[in-house]
Amino acid sequence: MSRVLGIELRRSAALGSALVLFVLGTLLLYFVEDIAFATGWMQLAMTQRLYLGLLWPLALAAGAWQASREHRSKVAELFASTPRPIHLRMIPILAAMTLSVTAGYLAMGVSGGLWILRTAEYVPAQVFAVTAVGVLSLVAAVWLGLAAGRLLPWRGTAPALAVAGLGLLLSIPGATRPHGWLALVFSPIYEMNMPAAYTTVPGRASAAQAVWMAALAVTAVLLFASRGWPGRVAALLPVALGAALAITVMPHQNRYVIDAIDPVARELVCADRVCVSRVHSGLLPEIGGPARDGLTILAKLPDAPSEVHEDTTTYRPDVYPEPSPGVVLLRIEAGPDGHVTDRDGLLAEVVAGAFSNAPSCPDPGSPVDRLAAAYWLIGREPVTTADYPADVTAEAAVVWHRLREVSPAEAQSRVVTLRAAALRCQGVSLFPENES
Amino acid sequence: MRLLTLYLRSRRAPAALLGAAGGTALMWALWSILSDSRSAGPQMVVLTVLLLVVALTATLGGPDDALEATSAFSWVPRRAVHLLVAFLVVVALVLVTLLTGARFGPAGLVVRDAAGLLGLTALGAATAGVARSWFVPLGWTLTAALFPQAETLAGRVLTWQAQEPGSTAAAVTAGALAVSGLIAYAMTGPLRGAPAEATQQ
Repeated sequence: MSRVLGIELRRSAALGSALVLFVLGTLLLYFVEDIAFATGWMQLAMTQRLYLGLLWPLALAAGAWQASREHRSKVAELFASTPRPIHLRMIPILAAMTLSVTAGYLAMGVSGGLWILRTAEYVPAQVFAVTAVGVLSLVAAVWLGLAAGRLLPWRGTAPALAVAGLGLLLSIPGATRPHGWLALVFSPIYEMNMPAAYTTVPGRASAAQAVWMAALAVTAVLLFASRGWPGRVAALLPVALGAALAITVMPHQNRYVIDAIDPVARELVCADRVCVSRVHSGLLPEIGGPARDGLTILAKLPDAPSEVHEDTTTYRPDVYPEPSPGVVLLRIEAGPDGHVTDRDGLLAEVVAGAFSNAPSCPDPGSPVDRLAAAYWLIGREPVTTADYPADVTAEAAVVWHRLREVSPAEAQSRVVTLRAAALRCQGVSLFPENES
Repeated sequence: MRLLTLYLRSRRAPAALLGAAGGTALMWALWSILSDSRSAGPQMVVLTVLLLVVALTATLGGPDDALEATSAFSWVPRRAVHLLVAFLVVVALVLVTLLTGARFGPAGLVVRDAAGLLGLTALGAATAGVARSWFVPLGWTLTAALFPQAETLAGRVLTWQAQEPGSTAAAVTAGALAVSGLIAYAMTGPLRGAPAEATQQ
């Protein structure tokens, strides 16, 4: 059998399919949008799943193309007349195509992983579940393609099947609205776009999707091996059972994946007074230096904060870090290169964090005064960074100049007042007398 | 006339036309049922054109191209006419929907995509054989329809199928593909493997 498998691997569409999935998948990962998976492995696994939107229909076409081989070579009748059992012919080609799509998808993951290898350290178990469901969905697709190609051995079958598959994936969300969870059961790409830092795919969602895809794959094999109408009708049984089971397993709750938060990814990892969430732990060395410099500068204030924590606020569901006067919160985002987006502005961000209202405050406070106070403490003029629009920096520069004009003692007291107000969730201005 | 009938039959033209008409009817029915809007979305139009081109792909080769090549016909104008007729069939089938309640347009997009995709398919038939000629049009068009890039010139060229009808870059790309496909296919015809491709797989 393994000799036959070897021959099939070399002389079927397996090699080409794996190559197409790998090359196209890699191009999609890197070039379609700004790299969205730079934060970590979960984001990479989910982005890969998103691009199944293209790879899934192509796997259908690859299977159908492969299955039409006997028809193309005009040997279908000859093979049908040989007294060998049908599974001896089916299993090697099923195995070859399965290996092919698995290798293609995993190679795509590896090529994406090389980009984040040095910055992403946190690998939750769900990453493997998400990837496994992705592989399983591709296997189901290629097997469905094999079945379709064998039952409808025409030239147009494979491309038409791909178009139909794409249409199906695109129409699932619309067809199931307002029951988003149903789309999550049946579509491997649903809710996989724009993964946030602490995002995860709950195990139950992956389990339900795996059940559905496995059922689809079993039906495809039965169709592929079927020789008459009774067998083909019976093949529909697993897919119906699988759909029912998957619907029961999936929680009937919309935005199940989008709202999911991985508490372990959100936990703080600390090194010498600086704490970041576990998903950003690979960035700790590049954040640590500026953050500690910021703390040194802040030490000029009375009751100065002694630690820098990452601001792990999430919206929908709203979860805020515990407010504490001894802690400066810092928003951290990994840019497309996997490193912190604004490394030059980090120091100013840490210092300004001491003057910002806590994320749970209803009043967010003014970024202008915050920046002006921070740069007054640092002792240099506000510079434009990626975090703020240019006009905010310009206004901050004006306020900064006024702080320099007044006596140092007065400036100090105004800055201290600003910080005290921020700790009370109040937005006050550095120069309130000019505002009315 | 008898020669034309025989030619069309050898190219399985009736089945291909039936498939193309069926594909149009299916997409038209889907849009009519599933959408309230009268004009089909550009994604749907691009996929419909792709489906029609794919349906007509099989007519680019006969059962035995090597045998055909030995006959004393001038194949160059015949092949060119074949492609032009296929183009007209695709455009006509899609644009007929403009008269109905679910319009697949605009005409500029349909004409551009039909010409470019047919050219690409013909190019594939001339270089890789008819059976494989849909590989590149399918993969390229699905990618472009899903992830159109309109910001950069390279993006507009690479995803020409899904650009606005007025996009010059897309039109030039489609035109270049159409012309090169027409020339390559008309001059050389489909790539000749052994009969029935027995040795190709």
